[in-house]
Parts: sequence; structure tokens; C-alpha cells
Amino acid sequence: MSDAAPTPHEPPILNVQGLSVLAKDRKILDNVTLDFPGHSLTAVVGPSGCGKTTFVRTLNRMVELTPGLRVTGKVNYAGQNIYAREVNPVMVRRRIGMVFQRPTVFPMSIFENAAFGLRLVHESEDVIDRAVTESLVRAGLWDEVKTDLDRSALSLSGGQQQRLCIARALAVNPKVLLLDEPTSALDPAATQRVEQTMERLKQEIVLVLVTHNVSQAARVSDRVAFLHTGHLIEVGATADILERPKNPLTEQFITGRFG
Amino acid sequence: MILIGIIVALIGATSFTNFGWQFFSFHWDPPQNQWGIGVFLVGSFLTAVPALIFSMLIGIGIAVASTTYLPEYLTRWLDPFVDLLAGIPSVVYGIWAFVIVAPIFGATIEPWLVGNVYFIPGFGPPIRSDGLGILISIFILTLMALPITTLLIRDALRSVPKDLWESGLALGATRWEVVRRVAIPHGRRGIFSAAFLGFGRAFGETVAVAMVLGAATNLPKNVYDTGNTVAAQMFELLDSAIGGTGSPQFLAALAEMGLVLLAISLVVNILGRRLIASLYTEQVQGL
Amino acid sequence: MNVTGTVAPEGRSLLYDRSARTRWRLGFDRWIGRLLPLLFLVAILPILSLVYYISAKAVPTLSWTVLTSTSPYRTDALGVPIIGTFEVMTVATLLAVLFGLFGGIATAEFLSDRVAGWVRMSANLLVGTPSIILGYFGYFTFVLYFGWGLSFIAGVFTLSFFMTPYIFRTADLAFTSVPRHIREAALGSGAKPAQYILRIGTPIAFPQILTGIFLAMAIGVGETAPIVLTTTPGVLAPHSIYSPVTFLTQLIWENFAQAPSTGLQTLAFQAAFLLMVTVIILNVVVRLISNRFRKRLEGLYQ
Repeated sequence: MSDAAPTPHEPPILNVQGLSVLAKDRKILDNVTLDFPGHSLTAVVGPSGCGKTTFVRTLNRMVELTPGLRVTGKVNYAGQNIYAREVNPVMVRRRIGMVFQRPTVFPMSIFENAAFGLRLVHESEDVIDRAVTESLVRAGLWDEVKTDLDRSALSLSGGQQQRLCIARALAVNPKVLLLDEPTSALDPAATQRVEQTMERLKQEIVLVLVTHNVSQAARVSDRVAFLHTGHLIEVGATADILERPKNPLTEQFITGRFG
Repeated sequence: MILIGIIVALIGATSFTNFGWQFFSFHWDPPQNQWGIGVFLVGSFLTAVPALIFSMLIGIGIAVASTTYLPEYLTRWLDPFVDLLAGIPSVVYGIWAFVIVAPIFGATIEPWLVGNVYFIPGFGPPIRSDGLGILISIFILTLMALPITTLLIRDALRSVPKDLWESGLALGATRWEVVRRVAIPHGRRGIFSAAFLGFGRAFGETVAVAMVLGAATNLPKNVYDTGNTVAAQMFELLDSAIGGTGSPQFLAALAEMGLVLLAISLVVNILGRRLIASLYTEQVQGL
Repeated sequence: MNVTGTVAPEGRSLLYDRSARTRWRLGFDRWIGRLLPLLFLVAILPILSLVYYISAKAVPTLSWTVLTSTSPYRTDALGVPIIGTFEVMTVATLLAVLFGLFGGIATAEFLSDRVAGWVRMSANLLVGTPSIILGYFGYFTFVLYFGWGLSFIAGVFTLSFFMTPYIFRTADLAFTSVPRHIREAALGSGAKPAQYILRIGTPIAFPQILTGIFLAMAIGVGETAPIVLTTTPGVLAPHSIYSPVTFLTQLIWENFAQAPSTGLQTLAFQAAFLLMVTVIILNVVVRLISNRFRKRLEGLYQ
């Protein structure tokens, strides 16, 4: 398992150690160990059922929402295991945000959507104002909505809604953003927009992208981690993995033999 | 086919209650000399509205507990339990209330209330020792409306797409915050329809109220006093009218009461059902 | 792999980010999570109390003779009311099933959408109307207008009016939720609508319809107003369609609300007990059927 970091060496803010997720009768994830270096985008790829969605959901403790699963191992954020007893999942999720497969805007105005996370902690109005603007800019949505932020978020197109979800997650200033197949429900033009946003964001924070689309991984990611039936088969710089995969399974996946 | 019979029944009901269009007086006088049904309207609202409020509040609480906080192995049998409340016939409720609950009210609850919250208007003395009256009627009606409100609100909350719920949590919200700020706004329509249909139930309930309210013809002076509702009064009058006393005014008043009851019922029901329907079509269109 | 050397870019770690506000939020969530489930008790305690007390008052006095002797009901026997209830329910259910099934199937299969919408709406409204309105209507129509007097048949018809919308709704729903591809496959291969209904639709919809029938029965047996207003308590078991008949709920009402003296009270409690048991059993049956057959049907929706 190689893990050459392509960017200037920074200690990883997020890493996973010996992570396993067990269901009643099988192992969904088996002993995964992986680093996520700062300011990069790591793509997690693999055939359907390989556990990549489960994996990403362990990173912000969303996996706990599914009953009957047990998590062992460590997920370290800034040196601390987020699964430690004293740590409350609510806190974790403010630091590690998530965007889902389908755009999940709340039935409120655009502004209120973005402000949601901040309102929870009763931030002051000007802080919220600034944060909303900033997050919309970072998500690449600002220009399109700045004229009327009070419009209902449901009036936006699919791609815009998804970028709003990104903005919403960014507004609480997480250092890590998890994206679970964020473009699979979008048309090509919207997909391109979101990918552009991801490319900009990866220079600011850590992004973890789950995708079944190898070409997408090739386009936007710095590193690729390949999962297969719950095992981490290979991980490395994108170019390395895609052109010179070390493991035969990896090569089969990339060339489209399965998945 | 014969299904038309259904429509006819409905129309027939309305046409028959048109027996009396004259006495539309809503004087608050006992219907001895002047056939004003105002007394009973007051009674109906006085019992139905608080019952609605209570059943909505409790219903929301139960629905939220069931969908958000309790594990599935518990809710699996707890939910049907609540639904069972709806199956008990009104008379059985009536007996239970009359024999078991009323004494508790009369001996314990009402004296406590009078002693401690007398400053709230309507909660002062005098009280009746037998416990019948407005307060217990509200209690019973709440119980009867509860299964409806709980069911509808529970369905409304369940209809929130899983993604939406998880998005809320992923932003660092507590379960309660997600419920309050995401799930409930999303399920607004279901909640409103719960209110309407629950109200319809409480407003139209006849027998249980008749047994517990005291069948009086006066305006209740406070929460512990007796009175009557439109539905219960109609029932009692009709019941004794079957014997034969039928001055045309009598029948006309009865018809008028029926009309009012029916009208309010229909309006409330239509509104409630409309809301459910729109919620449903929205879901089907995958919104 | 650099595990121990991770640096926190922000000065704080997760553990210590417990500002007062956060602590409050988390605490509130925890407490609400404990309080709200208690509300279930509000619903459950009354039921338990009800079942307990009525049973307590009725069971000790029940005996086989009480249940079956057919002496004039006002004294101490439930035989007459039981028979009366049974007969009324049977006929009323049959009528309701007749009207409801035909209507429901017709609406689901044959009517244009517009008309269907109206019919469904009136069915729904009928479900929601208070029982006295229907009882009142029944009184005027059947007792007076048709001239049947306070009789068995008047009661039966009124009650069936009450029950029909439930069966109608269930039948309608059951048939409309037959998966489209099955329906289209059947009709497309040349089956006449009637054949489709009989051979394919009904077996599929059957459990649902059965549920609806039991549900309607549970409701019908518990109704007071429609019966009280259209029949008069009879001393003997009904022997013709015009005769008086006694219904369990009616018994309770008469004995109790009108003249609460202890002797008759016992009878009322016994009747209430029987009623309660019947209703609970019916409800349980309904739930069992719907659960069991839902699993069976899942195979259809591939």
C-alpha cells in the first residue's frame, strides 16, 4: 500500500487507522488505514458494494445512523479519535461536512439554507451574513443567486441546488468535506460546474470524493484510493494509480472490467 | 352503479336538513322559548378546541418520539397501541369516563385546580363533586382525537426523505434541531391536515360527550360546569323525540342544528383531505 | 504513514469545544429524547385503565346463562342483545360489502377520473361525518319517509350507510394499487374487464379488502347514534324486518345514560365488555391480516 503525498508535505489532518465496520453477518469494511493529506482531493473508488459509501460515512460518524453496525478502529481528526467516548457526533459533523448524492436543499430560502448551520449556534446576524456570502462564493454559486437570496431554494436547478448544498456545508467552515457521488444525479453541464468547484476547494480544505466514475476521479483528484469488498487495495497519486496500478484488481477496475 | 347511492346519501342529507331555514337565531338563550343554538355552539367549541390543541401537542410529541428517538423494536408495537385508541367505541369511552374518570376528576383533579390555578379565568369555583363537565369532556375528546393526529403527523414526519434528514444531521444539528427546523417544515401540510381532521373528530363526537358533559342547557360558567354541544344535544333531543313530541319548531331547530353540524364538519373534512391529497401528489412526483 | 504527528490547524480540539451553548443544545436534545417517549403513556394508560376496569366490572358477573338466556333483556340477560347485534351486523355488513365493493371496484376500474374524484371525495366525507348526522338522516329517510318505523331494517340500512364508505375506500384503494404492469398485461392479452376483476384483481386485492371489511365491522359494531335513532329496543329477538331489535351499544346507552341505577349498570358493563373484546379482537385480526399479506404481496412489485 503506497501513499505518496503529491503536495508539499503537511501532516494529514484526517487519517484512518485499522477501521472496520461489521454488520451482523459480514464485514463491510476490513482494516482500512489511510491518510488524507491537507489541501487535496482524494477520490475513493471501487465497484458497487465495495463499501465506499459506508467508508465515507464513518468519517463523520454518520454510519451510526444505520442500526446494527459496529465500528472498530480509529478515525483521527486533528490528532483525536472521533470515535472516542467523550466526543459527541454533533461536534464532529461541524468539522467534517458532507454533501449527498441528491441535492437536499431545505424548504427555505437560499439564504436560510446556507445559514442553517450557523443559526444552530445562534451566531450574530453579521457573522451569518458574511459567512453566507463567503460560502456561496466558494461554492461557485454566488454570481447566479446574488440578486435574490430570499428566493426559495427549491426554485433552483439541480446543479445549483447541489452547489447550494456545498455552500451550506462550507458555511460552518469545516476543514474536511465529504462528497458522496455528488454529481451522479446531475446533467453534464451541472456536473462540470460542481467539478470546477471541487477543484477550487481542494486548494483550501481536504476533500474526500466518492465516485463510481473513474474519469471524474482522473479529472479532479490528487489521490485515488481503491476499495474492493471492504478492503483497501491500493492508494496513491492519481497519475500513479490510473496509469501504473500495482494491483491487478485495481487495473481491472480502471479498465472497466467490472464495477 | 350503486355507488351513486353514496353521493345521493350525501346530497340527501343536506336536502333533508333543509327542513328549517327559519330559525337562524343564535341567541344565547336556552332553547325553551327561543331556539337559539348558540349555547350549544359554544359548548361544542369550548370542548373541541382545547381537545384539539392538546391532542395536537401530544400527537406531535408522540410522533416525534416514535420517528426520531425510539428504536424500531419499541415503536413497532407502541404505535399500534395508540391506534387502538381509535377503535374503542364511543359508548365504551363514555362508560369508562363516567364511572372511573369522573370521580377522579371530581374528587382530586378539580379541587386541586381550583385551589392552585384559580386565577386563570374559568378555573375558579364552583366545582361539581361528580366531576362531569367541560374539563372531563376535553379530556375524553383529546383521547379520541389523539390517534388521528398522531397517525397523520407520524406519516408526515416519515415522509421526509432520508437524505434530507441526514443532511440536517451532517451539518452538526442535534436530532431535535433537525426535527424542528427541517422535518416539521417539510411536513407542514400533514400537520395541518392532522389538525383539521382531529378537530372534525372532536367536534362531531356525540355519544361520549353526551354521557360526560351533563346535558345541560346553560352556558357553562367555568371549566367544571356542565353544558352541551351541538352534537350531543341533537342526539338527546332526537332520542326523546322519537317518542313522538314533534312540534314543527322542534323539528326545525333540530334540522338547523344538523345543518350547522354538517356544514362545519364538511368544511373541516374537505380542508383536511385536500391537504393530505396535495401532500401525496407531491410525493408521487418525487419532490 | 504519519499517525501520531498530526497537527491541529485550529487551536482547539474536538474534545474541548464545549461552549455553553453547545452543551445546552446537546443536553436539550438528550432530555427531549427522554421526555417525549413518556407521552406515549398518555395514550397507553387510558386504554389500559379502560380495559382493566370494564373487565373488572363485567367479568365477575358473567356466566354462560347470562350470555345466552333470551329472557326479556331488560332484566339480566344478554342473549337477546347479542343475537340482535349479530343479526344487525350480519345484514348491515352484507349490504355494506355489496355497495362498497361494487362502488369501489367500479370507481377504480370504470369511472373517468373526474367522476371518480367526486365519488371518492363524497366517500371520504361520509367517513368523516359525525354519526348523529347519519343517524338523523337515517331516521328521516328510513323511519319516517319510507315509513318503516323504528325497526330492524331501518337500523340495518342506516348502519350499512355508515359502513359502506370504509369498504368502498378499501376496495377502491386495493384495486388502484394493483401494479400497473400486471393490470396491463391482463387487459392487454384480451381479458374482459370483468374477467380481470374476478380472476386477477380480486385475489391480489383480497387481503386488503378483507382488512377493510373487518375494519368496517369494528366501527359498525361500536356505533350508537345511528342505531338508537332508527330502532327501538326489543324484548325478544327480532323476527321480522319490521320488528324492534336491540343492539349492544344501544343497550349501554339506554341503561346507562338514561337511568343509571345499579342493577342495569351491571348489564351495561357486561355489554361494554363484550363490545370492547369484540372490537379489540377485530382490530388485532385486521393488523395480522395486513401484516401477513403485505409480505406476500411484496413479491408482486418487482
